[in-house]
Amino acid sequence: MIEVKDIVKRFGRKTVLDQVSFTAEKGQITCLIGVNGMGKTTIMNAIMKLTPLQAGEILVDGEKVTKDTFEKIVFIPDATIMLPHFTIEMAMEFMKDFYKNWNQRRADDMLAFFKLNRKDKIASLSKGNTAKVNLLLGLAVDADYILMDEPFSGIDIFSREQIAEVFTSHLIEDRGVLITTHEIGDIEHLIDKVVILNDGKIQKEFMTEDVRELEGKSVIDVLREVFVQ
Amino acid sequence: MNIQFNNRDPVYIQVIQHFKLQIAKGFLESGDVIPSRRELASQLKINPNTAQRAYKEMEEEGLIKTEKNQPSKVTHDQDVLRGVRNELIDEAVSQFVDSVKSINVPLEDAMKLIETHYKEKGDSND
Repeated sequence: MIEVKDIVKRFGRKTVLDQVSFTAEKGQITCLIGVNGMGKTTIMNAIMKLTPLQAGEILVDGEKVTKDTFEKIVFIPDATIMLPHFTIEMAMEFMKDFYKNWNQRRADDMLAFFKLNRKDKIASLSKGNTAKVNLLLGLAVDADYILMDEPFSGIDIFSREQIAEVFTSHLIEDRGVLITTHEIGDIEHLIDKVVILNDGKIQKEFMTEDVRELEGKSVIDVLREVFVQ
Repeated sequence: MNIQFNNRDPVYIQVIQHFKLQIAKGFLESGDVIPSRRELASQLKINPNTAQRAYKEMEEEGLIKTEKNQPSKVTHDQDVLRGVRNELIDEAVSQFVDSVKSINVPLEDAMKLIETHYKEKGDSND
Protein backbone atom coordinates (compact mmCIF):
# COMPACT_ATOMS: atom_id res chain seq x y z
CA MET A 1 0.00 0.00 0.00
CA ILE A 2 1.13 3.52 -0.77
CA GLU A 3 0.13 5.82 2.06
CA VAL A 4 0.21 9.54 1.52
CA LYS A 5 -0.12 11.21 4.91
CA ASP A 6 -0.90 14.88 5.45
CA ILE A 7 1.57 16.12 2.89
CA VAL A 8 2.05 19.83 2.41
CA LYS A 9 3.79 21.39 -0.56
CA ARG A 10 4.34 25.08 -1.16
CA PHE A 11 5.83 26.82 -4.16
CA GLY A 12 6.78 30.18 -2.72
CA ARG A 13 3.70 31.53 -1.02
CA LYS A 14 1.38 29.30 -3.00
CA THR A 15 0.19 26.17 -1.19
CA VAL A 16 -0.22 23.48 -3.83
CA LEU A 17 -0.90 20.54 -1.54
CA ASP A 18 -2.60 21.25 1.76
CA GLN A 19 -2.50 18.24 4.09
CA VAL A 20 -3.26 15.70 1.42
CA SER A 21 -3.86 12.11 2.59
CA PHE A 22 -5.00 9.05 0.68
CA THR A 23 -3.97 5.47 0.01
CA ALA A 24 -3.41 3.38 -3.10
CA GLU A 25 -3.78 -0.36 -2.53
CA LYS A 26 -1.92 -3.20 -4.17
CA GLY A 27 -4.05 -5.11 -6.68
CA GLN A 28 -6.16 -2.03 -7.32
CA ILE A 29 -6.21 0.78 -9.84
CA THR A 30 -6.50 4.13 -8.09
CA CYS A 31 -7.21 7.21 -10.15
CA LEU A 32 -6.18 10.66 -9.04
CA ILE A 33 -8.47 13.23 -10.62
CA GLY A 34 -8.36 16.98 -10.54
CA VAL A 35 -8.49 19.84 -13.02
CA ASN A 36 -5.18 21.24 -14.28
CA GLY A 37 -2.77 22.82 -11.84
CA MET A 38 -4.17 21.00 -8.83
CA GLY A 39 -0.96 19.23 -7.93
CA LYS A 40 -1.54 15.73 -9.27
CA THR A 41 1.89 15.52 -10.83
CA THR A 42 3.42 17.10 -7.72
CA ILE A 43 2.01 14.20 -5.66
CA MET A 44 3.62 11.68 -7.99
CA ASN A 45 6.89 13.59 -7.90
CA ALA A 46 6.68 13.65 -4.10
CA ILE A 47 6.14 9.87 -3.91
CA MET A 48 9.24 9.43 -6.07
CA LYS A 49 11.17 11.92 -3.93
CA LEU A 50 11.64 14.20 -6.92
CA THR A 51 10.40 17.21 -4.99
CA PRO A 52 10.82 18.09 -1.30
CA LEU A 53 7.77 18.43 0.96
CA GLN A 54 7.17 20.97 3.69
CA ALA A 55 5.29 18.50 5.90
CA GLY A 56 3.78 15.04 6.01
CA GLU A 57 5.16 11.68 4.97
CA ILE A 58 4.76 8.99 2.35
CA LEU A 59 5.01 5.29 3.17
CA VAL A 60 5.27 2.36 0.78
CA ASP A 61 4.30 -0.95 2.41
CA GLY A 62 4.63 0.80 5.76
CA GLU A 63 8.17 2.00 5.16
CA LYS A 64 9.67 5.34 4.26
CA VAL A 65 10.80 5.74 0.67
CA THR A 66 14.51 5.01 0.26
CA LYS A 67 16.76 4.12 -2.66
CA ASP A 68 15.65 0.48 -2.40
CA THR A 69 11.99 1.46 -2.72
CA PHE A 70 12.63 2.32 -6.35
CA GLU A 71 12.87 -1.37 -7.21
CA LYS A 72 9.29 -1.68 -5.94
CA ILE A 73 7.77 1.36 -7.52
CA VAL A 74 8.06 2.81 -11.02
CA PHE A 75 6.99 6.18 -12.32
CA ILE A 76 5.80 6.56 -15.90
CA PRO A 77 5.77 10.30 -16.64
CA ASP A 78 3.97 11.87 -19.59
CA ALA A 79 7.17 13.28 -21.09
CA THR A 80 10.02 11.52 -22.85
CA ILE A 81 12.49 10.29 -20.29
CA MET A 82 15.15 8.86 -22.57
CA LEU A 83 17.85 10.71 -24.47
CA PRO A 84 16.56 11.77 -27.89
CA HIS A 85 19.08 9.81 -29.95
CA PHE A 86 18.25 6.53 -28.18
CA THR A 87 16.48 3.79 -30.07
CA ILE A 88 13.88 1.72 -28.22
CA GLU A 89 16.47 -1.03 -27.95
CA MET A 90 19.05 1.28 -26.36
CA ALA A 91 16.42 2.55 -23.93
CA MET A 92 15.69 -1.03 -22.87
CA GLU A 93 19.42 -1.68 -22.36
CA PHE A 94 19.60 1.45 -20.28
CA MET A 95 16.71 0.32 -18.07
CA LYS A 96 18.26 -3.14 -17.70
CA ASP A 97 21.44 -1.56 -16.32
CA PHE A 98 19.49 0.43 -13.75
CA TYR A 99 16.86 -2.02 -12.50
CA LYS A 100 17.53 -5.42 -11.00
CA ASN A 101 13.87 -6.23 -11.65
CA TRP A 102 13.95 -5.49 -15.39
CA ASN A 103 11.98 -8.21 -17.20
CA GLN A 104 13.07 -8.45 -20.83
CA ARG A 105 10.47 -11.06 -21.71
CA ARG A 106 7.70 -8.77 -20.68
CA ALA A 107 9.31 -5.89 -22.58
CA ASP A 108 9.38 -8.06 -25.73
CA ASP A 109 5.72 -9.01 -25.22
CA MET A 110 4.74 -5.37 -25.00
CA LEU A 111 6.84 -4.44 -28.00
CA ALA A 112 4.79 -6.93 -30.01
CA PHE A 113 1.49 -5.91 -28.43
CA PHE A 114 2.07 -2.23 -29.22
CA LYS A 115 3.57 -3.08 -32.66
CA LEU A 116 6.68 -1.04 -31.97
CA ASN A 117 9.98 -1.47 -33.79
CA ARG A 118 12.99 -1.82 -31.50
CA LYS A 119 15.31 -0.11 -33.98
CA ASP A 120 13.22 3.08 -34.09
CA LYS A 121 14.66 6.25 -32.62
CA ILE A 122 12.50 7.46 -29.75
CA ALA A 123 12.74 11.11 -30.86
CA SER A 124 11.25 10.21 -34.25
CA LEU A 125 8.15 8.54 -32.81
CA SER A 126 4.65 9.98 -32.79
CA LYS A 127 3.20 11.20 -29.52
CA GLY A 128 1.11 8.06 -29.19
CA ASN A 129 4.05 5.76 -29.77
CA THR A 130 6.22 7.76 -27.36
CA ALA A 131 3.57 7.19 -24.69
CA LYS A 132 3.59 3.47 -25.49
CA VAL A 133 7.40 3.35 -25.16
CA ASN A 134 7.17 5.08 -21.78
CA LEU A 135 4.56 2.57 -20.69
CA LEU A 136 6.67 -0.33 -21.92
CA LEU A 137 9.78 0.89 -20.09
CA GLY A 138 7.81 1.26 -16.87
CA LEU A 139 5.72 -1.90 -16.99
CA ALA A 140 8.64 -4.14 -17.91
CA VAL A 141 10.09 -3.52 -14.47
CA ASP A 142 8.74 -6.15 -12.06
CA ALA A 143 7.62 -3.53 -9.58
CA ASP A 144 4.73 -3.82 -7.13
CA TYR A 145 3.50 -0.29 -7.74
CA ILE A 146 3.19 1.76 -10.88
CA LEU A 147 2.58 5.49 -11.04
CA MET A 148 1.30 6.77 -14.38
CA ASP A 149 0.98 10.43 -15.16
CA GLU A 150 -1.58 11.21 -17.87
CA PRO A 151 -0.97 8.14 -20.05
CA PHE A 152 -3.84 9.17 -22.36
CA SER A 153 -3.29 12.88 -22.90
CA GLY A 154 -2.98 14.03 -26.50
CA ILE A 155 -3.22 10.52 -27.91
CA ASP A 156 -5.55 9.26 -30.62
CA ILE A 157 -8.55 7.13 -29.71
CA PHE A 158 -7.13 3.82 -30.99
CA SER A 159 -3.87 4.21 -29.11
CA ARG A 160 -5.93 5.12 -26.05
CA GLU A 161 -7.94 1.94 -26.42
CA GLN A 162 -4.76 -0.05 -26.78
CA ILE A 163 -3.29 1.51 -23.65
CA ALA A 164 -6.55 0.93 -21.74
CA GLU A 165 -6.34 -2.73 -22.74
CA VAL A 166 -3.08 -2.99 -20.83
CA PHE A 167 -5.07 -2.38 -17.64
CA THR A 168 -7.16 -5.50 -18.11
CA SER A 169 -4.20 -7.73 -18.86
CA HIS A 170 -1.68 -9.69 -16.81
CA LEU A 171 0.70 -6.73 -17.23
CA ILE A 172 -1.13 -4.94 -14.44
CA GLU A 173 -2.81 -7.70 -12.49
CA ASP A 174 -1.88 -7.90 -8.81
CA ARG A 175 0.10 -4.68 -8.92
CA GLY A 176 -0.95 -1.40 -7.42
CA VAL A 177 -1.54 1.36 -9.94
CA LEU A 178 -1.87 5.07 -9.27
CA ILE A 179 -2.89 6.95 -12.37
CA THR A 180 -3.75 10.55 -13.16
CA THR A 181 -5.93 11.38 -16.12
CA HIS A 182 -8.38 13.86 -17.60
CA GLU A 183 -9.80 11.31 -19.99
CA ILE A 184 -11.78 9.48 -17.37
CA GLY A 185 -14.17 8.12 -20.00
CA ASP A 186 -11.45 5.81 -21.33
CA ILE A 187 -11.02 4.01 -18.06
CA GLU A 188 -14.22 4.60 -16.13
CA HIS A 189 -14.92 0.85 -16.09
CA LEU A 190 -11.38 -0.07 -15.23
CA ILE A 191 -10.62 1.80 -12.05
CA ASP A 192 -11.29 0.55 -8.54
CA LYS A 193 -10.93 3.77 -6.67
CA VAL A 194 -11.09 7.49 -7.30
CA VAL A 195 -9.35 10.24 -5.33
CA ILE A 196 -10.54 13.73 -6.22
CA LEU A 197 -8.12 16.57 -5.66
CA ASN A 198 -9.40 20.14 -5.67
CA ASP A 199 -7.70 23.32 -4.49
CA GLY A 200 -4.85 21.33 -2.99
CA LYS A 201 -7.15 19.23 -0.83
CA ILE A 202 -8.72 15.81 -1.14
CA GLN A 203 -12.38 16.40 -1.87
CA LYS A 204 -13.49 12.83 -2.04
CA GLU A 205 -12.11 9.31 -2.02
CA PHE A 206 -14.42 6.50 -3.10
CA MET A 207 -14.71 3.06 -4.68
CA THR A 208 -16.31 3.30 -8.12
CA GLU A 209 -18.52 0.21 -7.78
CA ASP A 210 -19.85 1.43 -4.41
CA VAL A 211 -20.93 4.76 -5.86
CA ARG A 212 -22.68 2.99 -8.73
CA GLU A 213 -24.31 0.49 -6.42
CA LEU A 214 -25.34 2.76 -3.54
CA GLU A 215 -25.96 6.04 -5.32
CA GLY A 216 -26.55 5.03 -8.94
CA LYS A 217 -23.93 7.52 -10.06
CA SER A 218 -21.18 7.31 -12.63
CA VAL A 219 -17.69 8.61 -11.82
CA ILE A 220 -18.41 11.59 -14.04
CA ASP A 221 -21.60 12.34 -12.08
CA VAL A 222 -19.56 12.57 -8.89
CA LEU A 223 -16.92 14.73 -10.55
CA ARG A 224 -19.60 17.09 -11.80
CA GLU A 225 -20.91 17.47 -8.25
CA VAL A 226 -17.46 18.38 -7.00
CA PHE A 227 -16.26 20.66 -9.77
CA VAL A 228 -19.43 22.25 -11.16
CA GLN A 229 -21.41 23.90 -8.42
CA MET B 1 -18.39 -11.53 -26.28
CA ASN B 2 -19.06 -7.84 -26.06
CA ILE B 3 -21.06 -5.77 -23.63
CA GLN B 4 -21.92 -2.11 -23.92
CA PHE B 5 -21.61 -1.03 -20.31
CA ASN B 6 -23.54 1.87 -18.89
CA ASN B 7 -21.73 4.01 -16.35
CA ARG B 8 -24.32 4.17 -13.60
CA ASP B 9 -24.88 0.53 -12.73
CA PRO B 10 -22.16 -1.45 -11.02
CA VAL B 11 -20.08 -3.15 -13.69
CA TYR B 12 -20.11 -6.49 -11.87
CA ILE B 13 -23.92 -6.52 -11.91
CA GLN B 14 -23.92 -5.80 -15.64
CA VAL B 15 -21.55 -8.72 -16.12
CA ILE B 16 -23.86 -11.03 -14.15
CA GLN B 17 -26.84 -9.79 -16.15
CA HIS B 18 -24.97 -10.61 -19.34
CA PHE B 19 -24.37 -14.19 -18.17
CA LYS B 20 -28.01 -14.56 -17.17
CA LEU B 21 -29.11 -13.44 -20.62
CA GLN B 22 -26.77 -15.94 -22.25
CA ILE B 23 -28.27 -18.67 -20.09
CA ALA B 24 -31.87 -17.58 -20.73
CA LYS B 25 -31.24 -17.50 -24.48
CA GLY B 26 -29.67 -20.94 -24.32
CA PHE B 27 -26.26 -19.80 -25.57
CA LEU B 28 -24.82 -21.05 -22.30
CA GLU B 29 -26.00 -24.46 -21.17
CA SER B 30 -25.52 -26.42 -18.00
CA GLY B 31 -21.97 -27.70 -17.66
CA ASP B 32 -20.52 -25.26 -20.22
CA VAL B 33 -17.06 -23.97 -19.35
CA ILE B 34 -16.92 -20.20 -18.95
CA PRO B 35 -13.79 -18.06 -19.37
CA SER B 36 -11.36 -17.66 -16.48
CA ARG B 37 -11.53 -14.43 -14.54
CA ARG B 38 -8.49 -13.06 -16.30
CA GLU B 39 -9.79 -14.04 -19.74
CA LEU B 40 -13.13 -12.43 -19.00
CA ALA B 41 -11.44 -9.22 -17.83
CA SER B 42 -9.49 -8.88 -21.04
CA GLN B 43 -12.41 -9.92 -23.28
CA LEU B 44 -14.77 -7.40 -21.71
CA LYS B 45 -12.02 -4.86 -21.05
CA ILE B 46 -12.85 -4.62 -17.38
CA ASN B 47 -10.84 -4.65 -14.19
CA PRO B 48 -9.86 -8.20 -13.11
CA ASN B 49 -11.19 -7.37 -9.63
CA THR B 50 -14.61 -6.71 -11.16
CA ALA B 51 -14.56 -10.02 -13.03
CA GLN B 52 -13.60 -11.71 -9.77
CA ARG B 53 -16.50 -10.06 -7.96
CA ALA B 54 -19.03 -11.02 -10.66
CA TYR B 55 -17.91 -14.66 -10.50
CA LYS B 56 -18.06 -14.67 -6.73
CA GLU B 57 -21.66 -13.42 -6.77
CA MET B 58 -22.62 -15.94 -9.44
CA GLU B 59 -21.10 -18.69 -7.36
CA GLU B 60 -23.11 -17.57 -4.35
CA GLU B 61 -26.28 -17.51 -6.44
CA GLY B 62 -25.45 -21.04 -7.57
CA LEU B 63 -25.24 -20.03 -11.23
CA ILE B 64 -21.72 -21.30 -11.71
CA LYS B 65 -19.52 -23.81 -9.98
CA THR B 66 -15.77 -23.86 -9.58
CA GLU B 67 -13.98 -26.96 -8.39
CA LYS B 68 -10.35 -26.94 -7.39
CA ASN B 69 -7.96 -26.44 -10.31
CA GLN B 70 -10.85 -26.67 -12.76
CA PRO B 71 -12.30 -23.97 -14.96
CA SER B 72 -15.65 -22.55 -13.79
CA LYS B 73 -18.74 -24.15 -15.29
CA VAL B 74 -22.42 -23.31 -15.58
CA THR B 75 -24.39 -25.18 -12.92
CA HIS B 76 -26.15 -28.50 -13.61
CA ASP B 77 -29.04 -27.48 -11.40
CA GLN B 78 -31.99 -27.12 -13.80
CA ASP B 79 -34.08 -25.33 -11.18
CA VAL B 80 -31.52 -22.53 -10.98
CA LEU B 81 -31.33 -22.25 -14.78
CA ARG B 82 -35.11 -22.13 -15.12
CA GLY B 83 -35.15 -19.58 -12.32
CA VAL B 84 -32.81 -17.33 -14.28
CA ARG B 85 -35.08 -17.42 -17.32
CA ASN B 86 -38.17 -16.72 -15.24
CA GLU B 87 -36.43 -13.90 -13.41
CA LEU B 88 -35.48 -12.17 -16.67
CA ILE B 89 -38.94 -12.58 -18.16
CA ASP B 90 -40.51 -11.30 -14.98
CA GLU B 91 -38.25 -8.26 -14.92
CA ALA B 92 -38.95 -7.41 -18.55
CA VAL B 93 -42.72 -7.74 -18.15
CA SER B 94 -42.81 -5.74 -14.96
CA GLN B 95 -40.80 -2.96 -16.64
CA PHE B 96 -43.22 -2.97 -19.54
CA VAL B 97 -46.24 -2.87 -17.25
CA ASP B 98 -44.72 0.01 -15.27
CA SER B 99 -44.24 2.10 -18.37
CA VAL B 100 -47.66 1.44 -19.96
CA LYS B 101 -49.40 1.90 -16.63
CA SER B 102 -47.72 5.25 -16.15
CA ILE B 103 -49.44 6.45 -19.33
CA ASN B 104 -52.78 4.88 -18.33
CA VAL B 105 -53.08 2.20 -20.98
CA PRO B 106 -55.98 -0.17 -20.16
CA LEU B 107 -55.03 -3.85 -19.85
CA GLU B 108 -57.04 -4.96 -22.92
CA ASP B 109 -55.34 -2.36 -25.11
CA ALA B 110 -51.94 -3.34 -23.81
CA MET B 111 -52.68 -7.01 -24.52
CA LYS B 112 -53.81 -6.21 -28.04
CA LEU B 113 -50.71 -4.15 -28.67
CA ILE B 114 -48.49 -6.95 -27.41
CA GLU B 115 -50.18 -9.35 -29.76
CA THR B 116 -49.80 -7.12 -32.82
CA HIS B 117 -46.16 -6.37 -32.06
CA TYR B 118 -45.41 -10.01 -31.39
CA LYS B 119 -46.81 -10.98 -34.80
CA GLU B 120 -45.03 -8.14 -36.59
CA LYS B 121 -41.67 -9.19 -35.22
CA GLY B 122 -42.28 -12.73 -36.46
CA ASP B 123 -39.71 -15.34 -35.53
CA SER B 124 -36.71 -13.10 -35.06
CA ASN B 125 -35.57 -13.38 -31.48
CA ASP B 126 -33.15 -10.49 -31.17
